[in-house]
Amino acid sequence: MATKVIAGRPRAESHTLRAEEERLRAHLEQRLRVRTRFAPLADVRALLVSPDREDRPKSLVVSSSASVAERIYLYVHVAAHIALGHHLPLVTIVEGAAGVTRFTDASQHREAEELARAIWWGQADKGGLLGAPALVQRSAMLRRLLAVGITRAALRSVLIGMRHAYYDLRIERALARSHLAAWLRDALCLTAVVYVAPQLSD
Amino acid sequence: MRIQNAQRVSEAIQALSAGTSLDTLVDRLYDLTDGTLALDRATLHRIARGKTQVARAIDSPEECIRLYFALMILGCERELSVGSIVDEGHAVLAGFVGEPLASLIFRDLAATLPKLTDRNTLKEYLEEGLRVWLPK
Repeated sequence: MATKVIAGRPRAESHTLRAEEERLRAHLEQRLRVRTRFAPLADVRALLVSPDREDRPKSLVVSSSASVAERIYLYVHVAAHIALGHHLPLVTIVEGAAGVTRFTDASQHREAEELARAIWWGQADKGGLLGAPALVQRSAMLRRLLAVGITRAALRSVLIGMRHAYYDLRIERALARSHLAAWLRDALCLTAVVYVAPQLSD
Repeated sequence: MRIQNAQRVSEAIQALSAGTSLDTLVDRLYDLTDGTLALDRATLHRIARGKTQVARAIDSPEECIRLYFALMILGCERELSVGSIVDEGHAVLAGFVGEPLASLIFRDLAATLPKLTDRNTLKEYLEEGLRVWLPK
């Protein structure tokens, strides 16, 4: 599989983003029996190793250089592979290998990308547990803005700017529990993930 | 279990251990396999020297597969080339369980290998492969 993400950009790893990563990782382990660990992988982003029997846990090795947002994308993408039944016994799914052109790999990867996009926007996962944060998952406005590169980058900059202002103006105590602040936190989390993995956008 | 090609297994073990003393090699194999290898030290020494075809303590292909993964990890640690690690690993497995079963196990590595260009990534893959074959 050849997962491409945008790397080398400044990270906007908020607490919300990290909490979302932990939640999805726990979901993978508890519901899909995927154990995740991190290792320095120089040439690929992740490996999903499936055991010989379905009752044994699968192992996901994720590159320790992957950002939190990228990890979230990889979890959703791997969940899509599993939902599609690509995790055959004793078969390893490699994410992010450069220059891999095997037809079956490319085809499976494309299917997983499509399903991952549907999961992310809450269209294919009952209860939306694997998708984007619930508050913003169904936001048509965010989805439209994230569909185009320029507006995606602009939206991210605006949301990060708003976060700076939120803390610089010292209004976080007043607004911390408000719906608006929660929405903005989730919007920034969703934007950060789609920013590193634009394939999740339309 | 009867080793099908003791001489080739011995050569492969020596290639993968790349000059490590046999005793150090055996210690590392026990470490890597979390003590789940049923072979005793003396038998492992004899297998590595090509002095025996009989590995009575091994009664399942799973044990051979664990040995196969552990030896290839050792090859990574000894900084052998990816090609040598893979060739000698295949020789160990085929020497133990015969070519048909070895090819079945080897199929995933053969398909995955073109995507892994880095020895450290190969090692991580092999460690995960070994973990998959450890008893529950």
